[in-house]
Amino acid sequence: MFAVEVAAGINATLGHSVLLVGLVCATFGALATVYGIRTNDNRLLRSTQRYAWGVCAAGVGAFAVMERALIQRDWSMKYVQQVGSADTPFLFNITAIWSALEGSILLWLVVLVGYTVVIAQRFRKRLADPLVAWALVVMFVVCMFFFLLALGPADAFQRGALGVTSGPGPNPLLQNHILVLFHPPILYLGYVGMTVPFAFAIAALITGRVGERWLSETRRFALFAWGFLTIGIILGGWWSYEVLGWSGVWGWDPVENASLLPWLTGTAYIHSVLVQERRGMLRVWNLTLLVATFALTILGTFLTRSGVIQSVHAFSNGSVGPYLLSFFGLIVVVSLGLIAWRGDRLRSPGSIDSPLSREGAFLANNVVFTVFAFVVLLGTVFPLIVEALQNRTIKVGAPYFERLSIPFGITLLFLMAVAPVLPWRKASTELLRERLFWPAWGGALTIVVPLLIGARGLAPLLAFGLGGFASGAALRQLVLATRRQGWRGLVGRANGGMIVHIGVIVVAVALVASTTYTHSSRLILEVGKPASYGGHTFELIEVQSFATPRSNGIRAQISIDGGQAYAPAITKFTNFGSNIPTPSVRTGILNDIYLTLESGAKAGATTLPMKVFIKPLIIWLWIGGALMVFGTLLSAFPGTRRRLPTQPTSAPIPVGSDEPLAEIVDV
Amino acid sequence: MSLSINRRVLNKQLKRWPGWLVLAAVVVIALAVATVGSSGPLTDSDRIDSISQRLACPTCDGESVYESQASAARGIRQQIKRFVEQGTPSDDQIIQYIQNQFGAKTLLVPNASGFDALVWALPAFAFVVAVAGLAVAFRRWKLVADTVATDDDRALVQAALNDQEREHES
Repeated sequence: MFAVEVAAGINATLGHSVLLVGLVCATFGALATVYGIRTNDNRLLRSTQRYAWGVCAAGVGAFAVMERALIQRDWSMKYVQQVGSADTPFLFNITAIWSALEGSILLWLVVLVGYTVVIAQRFRKRLADPLVAWALVVMFVVCMFFFLLALGPADAFQRGALGVTSGPGPNPLLQNHILVLFHPPILYLGYVGMTVPFAFAIAALITGRVGERWLSETRRFALFAWGFLTIGIILGGWWSYEVLGWSGVWGWDPVENASLLPWLTGTAYIHSVLVQERRGMLRVWNLTLLVATFALTILGTFLTRSGVIQSVHAFSNGSVGPYLLSFFGLIVVVSLGLIAWRGDRLRSPGSIDSPLSREGAFLANNVVFTVFAFVVLLGTVFPLIVEALQNRTIKVGAPYFERLSIPFGITLLFLMAVAPVLPWRKASTELLRERLFWPAWGGALTIVVPLLIGARGLAPLLAFGLGGFASGAALRQLVLATRRQGWRGLVGRANGGMIVHIGVIVVAVALVASTTYTHSSRLILEVGKPASYGGHTFELIEVQSFATPRSNGIRAQISIDGGQAYAPAITKFTNFGSNIPTPSVRTGILNDIYLTLESGAKAGATTLPMKVFIKPLIIWLWIGGALMVFGTLLSAFPGTRRRLPTQPTSAPIPVGSDEPLAEIVDV
Repeated sequence: MSLSINRRVLNKQLKRWPGWLVLAAVVVIALAVATVGSSGPLTDSDRIDSISQRLACPTCDGESVYESQASAARGIRQQIKRFVEQGTPSDDQIIQYIQNQFGAKTLLVPNASGFDALVWALPAFAFVVAVAGLAVAFRRWKLVADTVATDDDRALVQAALNDQEREHES
């Protein structure tokens, strides 16, 4: 008994000390690097790598200590009392670390220190370069902030009340599906990864080296973070589909919006950055997008972690709010100040000749993405504004976002159709007529075929048509590229990007189809009497009860179309008391059949109330997501040698020239 | 040989305006059929779903009546079901009724009146500003493109080139 108490004391003390070491390392790392830059002390600058390793060891250490405390069921710790339980299976006990606010800050820290050390390692030969050094300073400062957060307002290592020897375990929804192991860390890899391009953007502003070089240094980091954010968001949708029982993948919940916001501005960035690399333009805009992306991750965390917004995901805990909000303010003020200070250097030579050009399309893309981000942000914070100004409660929910996202979705699909065939600088209508002809017929086909199958409605069919049009344009590019270069025609950002586009289109079509054409019904099943709905029969075989140390519940066996039995369940976690329905899904290429039990079901009963959803094309959401990831990987590899903005394609068009500009196709 | 030339010529011919006109006609007709053929929710159950998606569960944290398993949400679903089965003609009427009972916080779609109208107006405003900004930018670029390079511009380009060289060396 005494030994356990001592071990317990160790975890809290160890956790605090490790965090303190991290804070000290980050602070000294930042100070030493700044001093090194100021005094041109290259030897000092090269040593900053050690601080990065120190910070990394501390972040990973803090995480490990907390895992140790959870595994030991160290009841002296408040956090373990909050999310631990003797009955939680090993896997969910491990993931319990990110099931509440304090632990999720530790997860953030682990990812952040990981990125810091990766930068220090990746640029180890150039640590004396002020650009790299300043980027490291920014990383250290962000690390400092999160170590402070973990030591102060979000202290995971607080000692708990004495005499407590049990806890409730993590929230039931966070202990009944394997995706809890993957979704949060992967999402954080993306979310936190946006810090890296931000750090380099700030470094470029401080050093005044706002040329294109820093962009190509960080392009892969940005792409990496964007890719993981994408996977994280899609896994979140999948998780929601598998565990929440309402058959949806996206609910426009504030926490979901918080992950979507940086994704939107990040997507705008990875497009408009191409204009800067190629033409040296849009410098201020790109810096602003990077700053916005990072600032939105902090703002999103503030909104969802400070308890100001009610949400299924939100951890309501008051005291981190002011810290996060101040940090957000600091980021915005410093960044805008730097951009204003470097205004003269940011003025870019050159101009965009025509809206009907690759650059023009990228700009249109950026307008749509930023306005969309604005709308999502507005809808998310509007209830707060109303409450602050008028002291009444309103809600802005999914139907609002759905309605407003239709025009954005349609415009983006249209841009995806036209943009890939546009040449840089200027296009003629003749050229568009020539290149868009077959993709456009592809679009017509994807309207007519669903129409013949029986799909109706203007918006969904328009979306299908534009989806077909856009995939036609993407395929055209891929076919031309592979014809010219063989398999290498699939690699590089223009071609890999087209595969990402096809993935996006598949996801969009699946989303539209599954939200528009879902049908559902409540059925009362009886043993031995198959009920039919939507062309399928459902027969109840039996309703059983089950019990585990942490829960009990009932599970029904329902045979679909006289075949295999599916087993939706309702689980009551003993420590929480609320009923958690677990759906069972028959997945198909065209349709998913989604079964979920209604309340009132009883073990051993011969009748059973349940709900069935027939949802078209759901599986294509995951397939499209996988394509997006695959395409992102391909576009991270270098394709054909990159042209510098000062090379001939960026030269002014000779006056009166008949040179066929259209020949310049690839990025 | 002549066959391949013919095919190329045919391809070229197809892509002229007549080909596009046929395409436009097909798309317009198909979309018209799709629009005319569409009717609202088909069954009672679908209608209940679409109404309950527009209402917030009064006792939950941000879930809709459609999603939530809470007893308050189940109660409201029952009420909606009764209204639908009685044949209440308009969804808005049902929503109004529920709202009168539970207050404005059950409404997931804000009203387009009073202060709340801002949540609808601001997106439109943002869009207009963005498009106008883009138009201004293009206009300015067009003016820039029409002028000749000044010494200042050349200096800027030279500075950029120097930067680049320095970065290459470092």
